[in-house]
Amino acid sequence: MSNTFNIRIGGEAGQGLVSIGSILLRAIAREGWYLFAHQDYESRIRGGNNYFQIRLANEPIATWVDKLDLTVSLDRATIGRARKNLTEDSLVIYDPDVFRNEELPFTPGENYIALPFAQVTEELGQPRIMANAVAAGAIWAFLSDDFSVLADVLGELFGRRGAEIVEGNQLVAKAGFDRVQGLASKRQKPARPEHPAERILLSGNDALPLGALAAGLKFMSAYPMTPSTGVTEYISRNGRKASVVMEQAEDEISAINMAIGASFAGVRAMTATSGGGFALMTEALSLAGSAEIPIVVVNAQRPGPSTGLPTRTEQGDLTFAVAMSFGDFPRAVLAPGDVEEAFYLMGDAFNLAERYQMPVVVLSDQHLADSYTTVTPFSVDRVEIDRGKVVSGAEGGPDYLRYKLTEDGISPRLYPGFGDGLVISAGDEHDEKGHLTEDGEMRRKMVEKRMAKQKLVEEEALPPVICGVEDPELVLIGFGSTKGAIAEAVANLNERGTRAQGVHLPQVFPLPASLEEILTGPGEKYVVEGNASGQLQALIASRFAWKPTGCVRRYDGRPINACYILNELKGGGACD
Amino acid sequence: MTKDIGFVTAKETAWCPGCGNFGILRALSRALEELELRPQDVLYVSGIGQAGKTPHYIAGNVLNTLHGRTLPTATGAKLANGDLTVFAIGGDGDGYAEGGNHFLHAIRKNVDITYLVHDNQVFGLTKGQASPRSDQGMVTGTTPAGVANEAFNPLATAITLNGGFVARSYAGDQQHLTRTIKAAVQHRGFALVDILQPCVTFNKINTYQYYRERVYDLDQDGSYDRTDRKAAWEKSWEWGDRIPIGILYQVERPTLADQYSGILTTPLVRQERDTAVVHALVESFKV
Repeated sequence: MSNTFNIRIGGEAGQGLVSIGSILLRAIAREGWYLFAHQDYESRIRGGNNYFQIRLANEPIATWVDKLDLTVSLDRATIGRARKNLTEDSLVIYDPDVFRNEELPFTPGENYIALPFAQVTEELGQPRIMANAVAAGAIWAFLSDDFSVLADVLGELFGRRGAEIVEGNQLVAKAGFDRVQGLASKRQKPARPEHPAERILLSGNDALPLGALAAGLKFMSAYPMTPSTGVTEYISRNGRKASVVMEQAEDEISAINMAIGASFAGVRAMTATSGGGFALMTEALSLAGSAEIPIVVVNAQRPGPSTGLPTRTEQGDLTFAVAMSFGDFPRAVLAPGDVEEAFYLMGDAFNLAERYQMPVVVLSDQHLADSYTTVTPFSVDRVEIDRGKVVSGAEGGPDYLRYKLTEDGISPRLYPGFGDGLVISAGDEHDEKGHLTEDGEMRRKMVEKRMAKQKLVEEEALPPVICGVEDPELVLIGFGSTKGAIAEAVANLNERGTRAQGVHLPQVFPLPASLEEILTGPGEKYVVEGNASGQLQALIASRFAWKPTGCVRRYDGRPINACYILNELKGGGACD
Repeated sequence: MTKDIGFVTAKETAWCPGCGNFGILRALSRALEELELRPQDVLYVSGIGQAGKTPHYIAGNVLNTLHGRTLPTATGAKLANGDLTVFAIGGDGDGYAEGGNHFLHAIRKNVDITYLVHDNQVFGLTKGQASPRSDQGMVTGTTPAGVANEAFNPLATAITLNGGFVARSYAGDQQHLTRTIKAAVQHRGFALVDILQPCVTFNKINTYQYYRERVYDLDQDGSYDRTDRKAAWEKSWEWGDRIPIGILYQVERPTLADQYSGILTTPLVRQERDTAVVHALVESFKV
């Protein structure tokens, strides 16, 4: 991966890191590069140390790396945190004013470039708040000789705030660009793709709600919780255009019950939350299971237990999401690995939920939620809508039975008011009509009817996504946001002569039966996952009575990348 | 056993003989008949408890939900299909204990539904424990020394939150209850009807006789002004020797659906995916 270039912009919360990040992402993508950008931030509004890290390349990339080529430090802490990731070619741009009257914790020179961001801004008669644009300009000097691209992006992003703000930002960004030109002109610019393709740039928290809209979402209710809030805010901002109601609820219990009510009435409905909020929703998931009401829940995982590390990442809710609630009822759990899968899997989630009239959980995590990637524009037409068995008019007549016992366990739905029949739905055990019953025989039939659907869900489980060689000596198995990291580790191993294969599971429950072939096939197997107890490993083991050769786990709240996997496999030294 | 009248469909019920629920069932049926509603256009969202069984004994669509969750579920259903006349039905334990937070916010949101609370001041289905509405001193299975907590006042709470329709009625007064339910359905916005309902098995204090001696109709002399919020709030605290029933407070406020007026001109359930809009949203991520 020598043709990638890695930039970190670090500073305190409130210094405009996301703003610089957004500007640079857009400018970089517009110049044709592929990129992967992730965010590391603390659970606070001001202060602390956060960073925005952008990796760009001349070919598609799907994960991040540790080694930093260019670091911009708006505060003091960024430099200390970045040090272990610097090489002798790495550059650091720092603000000397934050170290005023102190000895510098490094040796200034070719690798450490002083640029007083706020001072430059003030000298040009602009407010200090624009200091981050100086940093953006300085970074741009190491990527391109053409300042106009950055100027255009600044115009687009600040255009709404008026010409004065746009011109001020452009002025100080140009100053940053010029100030480092002496050094930047001596450095080789990162390689660009030969034939840049048309792409879109977005995060997991953009792709999931966009996928839901493409799937015909009509109703969402949610209670804000990091890192899922981006999904909720996206629908709040854009839902109206697509005739979608997004109602903020008083708590997660209300959020999911509102969505269930809307779904019962006949619209596609979802909610989004994170660990603790998901825990509050579990009672309602059981209602949806019993009353056979479709519902889609996005759970953007963060490290628990309890409120844990609110702004960091983990894959620690897998066992919980699969167990979901009390009682036996059919369900599915999907786990997109990148923004593209996030978009298309939302279509699958709604189709599954409606075909089998059951809850479907989509497991995201902070790393997927907050990371940006450039991808081929999504095709809305590729998202087919299958609403399952639904009757109306004469078929939904007076004899309509909401829970009619059928061979496949699926009873056609009737939306209330869409036929002469009445729709009687109940979470309490019920008869075919939907009325409450305590009859043991009817209870047994209803349990069997519901669980018959689970078998069908398993039969159509999404297959594993395979990368690497067909006859591996080493197999890395993972789910969710580790997809890119595993793919890059596999590519790296194959380059170095180890025949490796990656197995990504976009559906973790029920697991596809075809996984067994891989498990019993050639090669040592390692399960890669972001939790301490090996939840994916346990899930696979319980389904296939299987044991891997070993495992790679991470639970320090940071995302897994290829370097981490290789280090864990080889005992260090893999990232050099 | 219930008489086969109007909307009532049940031949038998799971209620105790003499239960206040029978009176509520009959009044609800009469109100629906007089409003000339079609059962197909009515949705009852019920909680858990003896009150929550009501919808299974009367014609209409039913969504039997979880304990305490009637209001959010009914809110979602109403937003998805505004053509439905939606009732949320539950007991005082369901609505004021388990569902207390939802109660506050449903009033704030002013979703256009009718909320019938079968208020028997005790947990019946779990066989006699204190509810938030139990009078202080009442001895129950969980309060052997008598209830110490202040009783919850749903009417004062609703008026405090500027609830659009705040009423109390009594299961033993068919005419009053029928009239009040009708007015609640006709009110545009969230309508609370707290219904005094004797529990013949577990509440030996608040009996038919207890209510017969105390209940009086607010509108009996035509002088009560239900638009005066402050007076209504004061009236809501009257409890003891005399207990007022009637519409304590009524005001028209924008409903939850009004917030989505551009979207809900046609019920959501009758709208399809707008592919062009989604395509444009995808395009908006182009760089």
